[in-house]
Amino acid sequence: MRIDADTCVGCESCIPYCPMAAISLVEDAGHAVIDSDECVECGVCLRSADCPTEAIAETANPWPRSVRGVFSNPLLEHKETRIPGRGTEEMKTNDVTGRFGRGDVGVAVELGRPGTGTRLLDVQKVTSAMGELGVVFEPSNPVTSLLTDRKRGDINPDILNEKVLSAIVEFAVKLDQLPAVLSRLMAVAPGLETVFSLDVISRVEADGSIPVEGVVRELDLPISVNGKSNCALGKPLASED
Amino acid sequence: MTHTLHRQGIPENLGDDYVILAMSAKGINEAGSAEKLREVLRLALRHEPVNAGDMKTGNILEKTAEEIIERVTDTSIVHVVFNDLDAVVQVLGELKSADLGVSIVISGLFSGTRECCQSAGLELAPHTVEYSLGVWGAKERLPDEQVLQLSTMCGHGMVSFNLVTRMVEEMAAGRLTSEEAALQLAEPCVCGIFNPARAARLLREMASNEPVSGRRHGTACLRGAEL
Repeated sequence: MRIDADTCVGCESCIPYCPMAAISLVEDAGHAVIDSDECVECGVCLRSADCPTEAIAETANPWPRSVRGVFSNPLLEHKETRIPGRGTEEMKTNDVTGRFGRGDVGVAVELGRPGTGTRLLDVQKVTSAMGELGVVFEPSNPVTSLLTDRKRGDINPDILNEKVLSAIVEFAVKLDQLPAVLSRLMAVAPGLETVFSLDVISRVEADGSIPVEGVVRELDLPISVNGKSNCALGKPLASED
Repeated sequence: MTHTLHRQGIPENLGDDYVILAMSAKGINEAGSAEKLREVLRLALRHEPVNAGDMKTGNILEKTAEEIIERVTDTSIVHVVFNDLDAVVQVLGELKSADLGVSIVISGLFSGTRECCQSAGLELAPHTVEYSLGVWGAKERLPDEQVLQLSTMCGHGMVSFNLVTRMVEEMAAGRLTSEEAALQLAEPCVCGIFNPARAARLLREMASNEPVSGRRHGTACLRGAEL
């Protein structure tokens, strides 16, 4: 994104809209400017800031900068998932897909959320750590498509300094692998320059119990009071086999 | 991934915030699902949600319901936001009766969603759950809890921390009501999963300096008895 210096009247109305706080006023010049290194090309300023002089415009973003928009602008659809946004169907259709069976745990690590954004170098810190544990990254996830080595968790070096609004690292493990995964994530966290939101997905047992809870409690991690529940209304229901 | 499970808050201010999502599974029951997803929207919109939309088209605060429904496709994810638990129970009951066959997910307080599902005659236990285990890493970069409770209501991170702060300032200056400020916060959330009714209440608390919570960057946690 860019702000045309000749058109901008310096009203500052766009400044609070930027999720990355990348817009500022050039006091002496009397117009606003976007820090292109911090801009993630999410498009909020263009869509929502209601610029009175229409001074905000999109820029051409050739590779590697092109990666910013697809991980930041929810109106762009990832070719890997055919879903607008940054994730996958994950548990939302698990009643039909059976993607996470009994004994499986889905793990999602969303770097850059809430509100900080993330360099892909930080994403690689997580994918590398998980690669060392031998996890299999979700093939249809957009972050997985950036990996040049899906076993090691290496991201294409061309894009490591690119900043995106958020990026979700997704994979499934067996329940007995979960303690190692969560412990490793806790060890990686202090070395990041961003934040990540962490979640786990679990099938519910026939008696209503949710095995993943025990593992999480053993590690003294919190479980939020709110979350998502799949109501089992999809058809055909996935086979239990 | 919808980010609704990471909406921050405490039970006292999450009790008026429930999202129902519907989608079909790619390559399984996707073909022909558009009409079923449209029916989910038609059915839910009769119960006066505070927001609703389709990620591909937009939301009912910006577009007409007819326009959103018409543009639903087989790959759409449609969603409806309620601030009334009774409405959620009725919608889930009607969805069960309609037997549309698309996947339905409810997001919100687990205590509330459990009550809804049971009252609506659904299975006692959900098929699958997704738990938020909180926020980790450089949390010193985050604003206080009240700002996060508003900002995290946009599933794609389009509602900036600074816009929340600006809206509180506008209210304090008497230039906006809480309802007007809430709608301005909802505007960048293009898909329409933001809850403007809850936002107005949180903004009033912020503007009056009422403490929403004594915690900073915390996660309100389930206790053993609640699981």
